[in-house]
Amino acid sequence: MKFSYNWLADSVPGLSTSASELQRLITMKTAECEAVDPVGAHFKAVVAARVLALEPMTKGKNQRVTIDAGTGQEITVVCGAPNVHPDMIAAWVPPGVALHGKTIGKAIIEGIESDGMLASPAELGISRDHSGLLELESAQPGMPIPGLAADWVIEIDNKSLTHRPDLWGHLGMAREVAAITGGTLADPVKLDALPSDEPAIKIEVANPALCPRYSALVLENVKVGPSPLWLQARLESVGLNPINNIVDVTNYILAELPQPMHAFDGDELVGGTILVRTALPGERLAALNGESYDLDPADLVIADAAGPIALAGVIGGSASAISEETTRIVLESANFLAASIRLTSARHKLRTDASMRFEKSLDPENTVRGLARALELLKEACPGIRVVGGVADAATPRIVPAPIPLPVSVVVKKLGAPVSADRVRRILSDLGFAVQVTAPDLFSVTVPSWRATKDISLPDDLVEEVGRMVGYGEIAPAPPLVAATVPPANPMRLYLRQVRAQMASQGFTETYNYSFVNQTDLLRFDFDPALCLTVRNPVASEWTHIRPSLLPGLFNNIVSNVRNYAEFRLFEIGHEVRLDRASGEVSERTHSAATIYSAQGDERDFFELKRVVECLFTGARLCSAEAKLYEHPMRAAEIEWRGSTIGRLFEIHPKLLEQEGLGGRAVLFDVDLDVAQSLAASRVFRYTPPRRYPTSGFDLSVISELRLPVSRIQDELAALAGSDLASLDFVRQYAGPPLPEGSKSVSYHLEIGALDRTMTADELTAIRNRIIQGMRGAGYELRV
Amino acid sequence: MLDEQLEELRRATLAGFASAGSLEELEEEKVQALGRKGTLAQISKEFGMLPVPERARLGKLLNAVKQDLETAYEDKKRRFAQAELEERLAKEWIDVTLPAPGIRPGSLHPVTQLQNEIEDLFTSLGFAILDGPEVETEEHNFDALNIPSTHPARDMQDTFWLSNGHLLRTHTSPVQVRGMRQLGPPLRMIAPGRVFRNEEVDASHEHTFYQLEGMMIDREVSVANLIYFMQTLLSSIFRREVTVRLRPGYFPFVEPGFELDIQCLICGGIGCPVCKNSGWVELLPCGLVHPNVLRISGIDPDVWGGFAFGLGLTRLAMMRYGIDDIRQLQGGDLRFLSQF
Repeated sequence: MKFSYNWLADSVPGLSTSASELQRLITMKTAECEAVDPVGAHFKAVVAARVLALEPMTKGKNQRVTIDAGTGQEITVVCGAPNVHPDMIAAWVPPGVALHGKTIGKAIIEGIESDGMLASPAELGISRDHSGLLELESAQPGMPIPGLAADWVIEIDNKSLTHRPDLWGHLGMAREVAAITGGTLADPVKLDALPSDEPAIKIEVANPALCPRYSALVLENVKVGPSPLWLQARLESVGLNPINNIVDVTNYILAELPQPMHAFDGDELVGGTILVRTALPGERLAALNGESYDLDPADLVIADAAGPIALAGVIGGSASAISEETTRIVLESANFLAASIRLTSARHKLRTDASMRFEKSLDPENTVRGLARALELLKEACPGIRVVGGVADAATPRIVPAPIPLPVSVVVKKLGAPVSADRVRRILSDLGFAVQVTAPDLFSVTVPSWRATKDISLPDDLVEEVGRMVGYGEIAPAPPLVAATVPPANPMRLYLRQVRAQMASQGFTETYNYSFVNQTDLLRFDFDPALCLTVRNPVASEWTHIRPSLLPGLFNNIVSNVRNYAEFRLFEIGHEVRLDRASGEVSERTHSAATIYSAQGDERDFFELKRVVECLFTGARLCSAEAKLYEHPMRAAEIEWRGSTIGRLFEIHPKLLEQEGLGGRAVLFDVDLDVAQSLAASRVFRYTPPRRYPTSGFDLSVISELRLPVSRIQDELAALAGSDLASLDFVRQYAGPPLPEGSKSVSYHLEIGALDRTMTADELTAIRNRIIQGMRGAGYELRV
Repeated sequence: MLDEQLEELRRATLAGFASAGSLEELEEEKVQALGRKGTLAQISKEFGMLPVPERARLGKLLNAVKQDLETAYEDKKRRFAQAELEERLAKEWIDVTLPAPGIRPGSLHPVTQLQNEIEDLFTSLGFAILDGPEVETEEHNFDALNIPSTHPARDMQDTFWLSNGHLLRTHTSPVQVRGMRQLGPPLRMIAPGRVFRNEEVDASHEHTFYQLEGMMIDREVSVANLIYFMQTLLSSIFRREVTVRLRPGYFPFVEPGFELDIQCLICGGIGCPVCKNSGWVELLPCGLVHPNVLRISGIDPDVWGGFAFGLGLTRLAMMRYGIDDIRQLQGGDLRFLSQF
C-alpha cells in the first residue's frame, strides 16, 4: 500500500516531521515501511509555457516549436505531439530537470537544438496518458503548473496491514501519524453536505448478513471528462490509474477513507431498484476488465431488474459502466461481509483494489461518509453536477460491541513495564478510543467503528495499542521467573543424533532432499502413484507427489554426484509419508537411507555397508530376501534386529544406473528409525561377569552346498554346542579344488568352557564329538 | 702363581671381550673364561690343595675377577643389543607424510549442526523439544492458531494442499498446539522442523525450509521477558552481544505481535548493503500468545500467558556460513555438503 505524504499532511495540518523520519516512526509504531520515494520533484522546475509558433521539420511528425516560458526570450523545442497547436498552454521541462530518473538536456534533433521539452501527462507522472501534450486551460507562462507539487510516497508492506482495515486508506494512516507526532487529525468528511430528501432510488438487500449496509446517491447533469490535475497526480502517485472524473473520485475515496465505491450509469439501469442478492444459477457478468464471469450461487451480486450489474465488492459490470455519454450516475457506497468477498474473489481468481479492502472487514460507518466526501469532490471535479434526492441507505443496525474493561495493571503486567494510567488513557484517546474511568486503575474502553470490525475486541489488543505507542524500545528487558522443572525427554531426538553422528563417523555425508517426488521417481522404485499423497497445487510439474520413501531422492543424489566423484557415501534422515489404502490414514515415519557408490565397485561395498549397519544396530542380521524390482536380484536382504525387520540392504539394480548412463555400483540401506528407536529403547542391559575358568578352542570346517547361507551353518553349530559355547567365530570360506564343484568349505573357531569350573579333556572331547556327529547327521561333510 | 694366572685370565679375557666383533665371538670368549670347563673353573680346581688362609685370599681374588668379567660381558652384550636395535630401527624408516588409508568422517548438514546447537541451548534452559508431522491438518496449521479459513492472513502463507484434504505445514506453529494439548501449562517447548510454502524457488526463496518454533507459557510472562529472552538467545546463537529491537508485526496467533530486528552484525548498525542501510536486519516474528490460541487448546488465558517465536533455521545457517544461494541446502551436491 502506497501513501502520499502530502495526502497524509492534508489530514494532519501542520505536519512537520520529514517523510524519512515518518518512515522510521511508522515502522516502529504501526506497520513496516518498505520504502520512501520522492515523486514529482520536477514539479518545482516545470513551468507553464505558451506555444507561439510551429514550423514543420523535414521528415516525420516532429515540429519545431517556439514557446514563451516566461523567461523573457523565445525558446525553441522540438515536439512530435499530435495535439500541439499555437496559443496552447503546455508544460515546459527546462534542461537539467530529471523525469523518471532521466535528465532532460539540450538535445539536437534532426539538426534543431531542443531547449528542454514540452511534456505529456505520462512524462510528468500525472497519469498514464501519453497520447499528446498536457494542455492547461489557463496559466501564466513561467509559473508552476497549478495543483502539482513535489511529494513523497511511503510504501507499507501489505502483510503488516492484514488486520488493519482502517490503514488501507490515508485517513487511517493520518490518524496514526497524528497520534505518533502529537498532531491533530482533520477529518475531510462533512456529513452535513448531504441532502436529507427522499432517495431517488430504492435499495433491496436480500442477504443483509452478506451486505450489512448499502448506501447510494443519484446525481445528474454529469459531464464525464478528466479530473483536476492534483487529483490525477495523487492517484497516480499511489499507483491508481486516473481514468475520468467520476471513476477518479470513487478511487480517491477508496484510497482515503478507505471506502471502495462504484458509479453506475444511471440511464443503463433497468427499473428503479437496486437489488443486493446472491447470484442465480446460470447468471453471468460481463465485467469492466473485459472478462466474463460465470457466477456461483454463493456470489453476492448487485442487480437491477434485468440481472447482475456488479460482482459485489469485487468488480462492476461493463453494461452499466461510466462512459463519455453518461449524464446520470448512481453512486454505490456499500459494506459487505469480508469472508464472502474473500471467497468470491478467490473463486474467480480476481483481486481488485476494492476486494482487497473489503476482505479486511471495513467500517460500515464509512458508506454514507463516502457519499458525502464524493459529493464534495465531484462538485470540483465535475462542475455543474446535481444531487437528485437524498441518500438511500439500507442498513442493518450495527451491533455496537460492549466497551472493553481494561485494568491498567493488566497493561503493566503484559508489557512488563511501568506505564502510568494517565499515559494509557492518553494513548488510547489519541488513537480514537473513548476511555472512561470506571474505577481507579480500571478503564472502560469503547472501540471506534473503524477498529471494531475485526481488529480490536480484547484487552490484549489494547495492550498492543499502548505498547507500540509507548515504544517497545522503552521496555527494559527482564528475565522470566519460572519454575525450575525438568522438561519431558525426547528419546527419538537423542536417538537421531546418535545415528547421525555414527553415520558421519563412518564416512557418510548428510543430504536433505525435498519431500516432493514425481511419477517417474515413484515408478522407478515400484510405488503405485495412486497410493501416494499428491499435491493439489504443485510448485513445479516435477514435484507432484509426497515422497513415500527416501530412496528416490537419494538415487537422484547419486546420479548428480557421479560426475564429480568416483566414490562417495551419502545418507539422509527424513519422513516418508504413506497412505493406507483401506483406511485412508496417512502414516509418517522417520527413516534413514544411506548409500555407498563406487565407480569401480564390487561386492565388498555390500559388506562394507553391512558392517555399517552392524555398527548402528549391534547384533543386527541380514536375511536374504526376494529382491524388489529396483534391487539387484542376487543382492538384496532384510535387516533383522532384536526380532524385528527394521529395513533392507541391497545393491541397486544395475539397469537403474545404466538408464542414467552410469556405471559402477551403488549399495543402499533403508531403515525405519521409529521401529529401530523403540527397539533400542526397549533393551534392558545387564552386566555379565567375565569368565573365571579357562575355555578351550578348536576349529571345524563344514562342507556345504555353495549357496547355502553361512548363517544357517553358524546357527546349527551354535545349537549343537549348547550352553557351554563361549564364542563362535567365522574363520574363512573356500570354494574350489579339491572341493567338488558347487560346494564350499566354511571354517569356524569355537571356544568351549563352563562358567563354574574348568572342563576336563573328556568333557571337551564329548562336546566336540557331539557337534561333529550332529553336523554329519544334518547332512554336512566335516573336515576336522 | 695362581695369582698370576687369575690376573692373566682377567687381562686376556677383557681384551678378548673388547675385540669380540659379534655376539657369537663374545659368547665364545665367555665360555672359554667362565664356562663349566673354562679357565676360571680350572684354576678353581687347584684351590683344594692350598692351605686355608691362602685359599680364602685367592677365593676372594677369583670372585673379584669373575665379577669383573661378568660385568664386562653384560656390558658388551648390551652394546651389541643396542647396536642391533639401532640397526633394525634405522631400517624401519617410513614416510610419515604418506596418506593414511581408510574412510574419513562425512559431515552433518549445516542445518542439522545449527539445530543441534540451538536444541542444546534450549534444553539447558529447561525447554522440551517436541516434534510434529509434516503433513498437518488444516485445524492444527490454521484454525487452532486463530486463522479461520475466511481470514485474509491465510494469504500470508502460500500453502501446499494435498489430495486427502490435509496440507504440508506452513510453519512449525502447529507443534505449539500439539504441545499445549499434550503437556498443558506451565510449558516451555521448542519445535524444530521442516516447513513448506508454495513459492517459486530462486537464490533466496525456497518452498522447503527449516524453522524452530519456541513457546513459553507461565503465570506471568511479559514483553519485557520476551525481549530479555530473545537478546540472550540470539547472543548465544551468534556468539556475541546482539542488540534487538521489537516493532509491531501482525501474526494472528500472537497479540501483541512483533517483528524482531537485530542490529546488523556486518556493519554494527551504521548501515551497509546487507541491512539495506537501515542498520537493522529483520530476523524473526514473535509475540505474546493470543488468548484465543490458549483457549482453543484448553488453557485459561486469564490465568496463563506466554510468548512464542519462530526462528528461521535455514536463514540462520545461511547467515552463519555466508551461504548466498538457498537452493544449495537441498541440492544434494557433495561439493557443498562435504564442507561442513
